[in-house]
Amino acid sequence: MVGASEAAQMERLESQVDNGGGGAWEYLCLVRKLKARRSDKVLKHGLSILNDHRARSKLGAEEWTLYEQVAFAAMDCQQYDVANDCIALLSKQFPRSIRIGRLEGMLLESKGAWAEAEKVYARLLDDSPLDQIIHKRKVAMAKAQGDLSAAVKLLNKYLEIFMADHDAWRELAEIYVSLQMYKQAAFCYEELILSQPTVPPNHLAYAEVLYTLGGLENLQTAKNYYASTIALSGGKNTRALYGICLCSVAIRQLTKGRNKEEKEVSDLQTLAAEALQRDYKQRAPNKLPFLLSMLKNMKLNS
Amino acid sequence: MAEDLVLDTAIRDWVLVPLSVVMVLIGVLRYFVSKLMRSHQVPDLKVVKEGQVILRARNLRVAAGFIPAKSFRSRKTYFTNEENGLLHVPKGQAQNAQAQMFSDPNLAMDMMKKNLSMIIPQTLTFAWVNFFFSGFVAAKIPFPLTQRFRGMLQNGIDLSTVDVSYVSSRSWYFLNLFGLRGLFSLILGEENAMDDTQRMMQMSGFGFDPSKSLGAEKDGIDIIQHDWALPKLEKRAEDALKKLLK
Repeated sequence: MVGASEAAQMERLESQVDNGGGGAWEYLCLVRKLKARRSDKVLKHGLSILNDHRARSKLGAEEWTLYEQVAFAAMDCQQYDVANDCIALLSKQFPRSIRIGRLEGMLLESKGAWAEAEKVYARLLDDSPLDQIIHKRKVAMAKAQGDLSAAVKLLNKYLEIFMADHDAWRELAEIYVSLQMYKQAAFCYEELILSQPTVPPNHLAYAEVLYTLGGLENLQTAKNYYASTIALSGGKNTRALYGICLCSVAIRQLTKGRNKEEKEVSDLQTLAAEALQRDYKQRAPNKLPFLLSMLKNMKLNS
Repeated sequence: MAEDLVLDTAIRDWVLVPLSVVMVLIGVLRYFVSKLMRSHQVPDLKVVKEGQVILRARNLRVAAGFIPAKSFRSRKTYFTNEENGLLHVPKGQAQNAQAQMFSDPNLAMDMMKKNLSMIIPQTLTFAWVNFFFSGFVAAKIPFPLTQRFRGMLQNGIDLSTVDVSYVSSRSWYFLNLFGLRGLFSLILGEENAMDDTQRMMQMSGFGFDPSKSLGAEKDGIDIIQHDWALPKLEKRAEDALKKLLK
C-alpha cells in the first residue's frame, strides 16, 4: 500500500523531473519501489537516462534493472521496438534467465500473440514450476482474452498451492463480482479480511457484496461491515456512510411487519446522515439538495 | 581484596584490538565463502504448499473475530476435518519428516555445509586465543560480579585472590562472539547480520518440520472460540462519527 507521504513525494519528484530539474533516477527508483504505473513518464525519463552514455555508466549494475523497468513501460505504451531492444540487451547479458524469459513472454502478450506467449510460459514453468509470477501472467492472459471462466479456473488452481497470497484472492473476488457470482466473491473477500483485518477497503468491498446478495441476515451483516469500515477509516469513508443509510432503509423495509428491536442502532444511521450532510456541505455544496431530498425520502419510507 | 590493578595499555593494543579485528575479518570471510558455496535449492511443491497452508491457518486463528460465525465454522471444518482437512496429518506420516531429512542428500549436504562453516572458524579462533592469549589479565569488567563467574571468566589466571572483575582474553572472545552482530549489519547490509548465536540456534533446529507445525496449528484452531468483533466496531464507528461531527 502506498503511504500518503510517499505518494506526495512521488508527485513532487514527477513535477520536478517533468520541468527539467534533475532527479530522474530517484523518481524511477521510487516508482519501482511503490509499483506505481506511470509508464509514459517512466519511458520518457528512463530512455533519456539510457541513451546518455555518461548517465548510464554512472548507474553501474543498476542499469539492468532500469532496462527491465523501461521494457515494462514500453510494453505498456505499445512501443514494441523499444521493448524489443531492451530485452535483447538484457538477454545478451543474462542468457537463459527466467526473469528475461518472463519479459519475452510479456512482450508476446502485449502484441496479442497469445499462443506463442502460452508456449513461452509453459516452457518456463517446466524449469521452475513454482514461479508465482508466471502463474499470474497466465491468469492475466486469460482475463485479457476475455475468457473469465478460464481465468477463474487458473486462479483457483494457483490458490490451491499458494493460498496465502492475498492479492490473488482480491483478483479472484473481483472476477467473481464481474461474473455476478456473489457468494463466491463473498468467500474471497472473507479471505482478504482474514489476512488483512485492519484495511478498510476489504471491509467495504465485503459489505457491498453482502448488500448485493440481499436477505435480512446479509443486510444486517453488511451494516456491521459498513460500520467497521467507518470505524477503521475514522468516519471519512463516504461510501460506507451511504451504505449505512441504505442498509438501514432496506432492513426497515424487510422487518416492517414485525415490531422487533425498534431503536437498535438508529443512532448510527442518524449520525451517518449528519456526517454525509456535513461532508457534502464542505466538499460539494451544489449537490447538497440531492442528498437532502434522498435522506428525506429514506426517512419517509420507514 | 578489592585493590585496583593497573593494566598495561599494551594489553589493549596487542590483545583486545587484534582479537576484535580478527573476529570481524573472519565473519566477513565466512559471509563471502557462504555466498560462494550456497547451492540453489529448488523449492518442493509440498513444502511450499504446507507453508502456505500454515500461513492461512494462522490468519484464520488471528483474525477469526472479523468474519461472520458461519464462515468461521465452515473454514474451521475445512481445516481440521478428520478425514480430509488440510491440517490433519495421518499418524504414519508424522514421524517421517526427520528420516526424510536425512535421506535426502541435498538437505543433508546443505546442513553439513552450514554447520561446518560455523564450527571450524569458531574452533580455530578459540584454540588460537587459548594458545596465544592466556595466562594474563586482559580487561576489567566495569561492574562487580559474584565468585561463581570466576571459573568461566578467569581461566588462565591461577590466582584465586584476584577480583572476579578482572577477566582473561577468553571472555573477550566470547563477548565479541555474541556482540558483533551490530557491526556485521553495518558492514554487510541488514539481512546478513547473522551473529554466531543465531547460527547456533539455526543449527539446533532441524529445519522445517511441517507435520509438527501443522498439528500445532490444528490444535490452535480447534481451541479457538469465535469472538464476533463487529458489534464492538460498530460502537467504535458511532464514537468516531460523533467525534467527527463535533
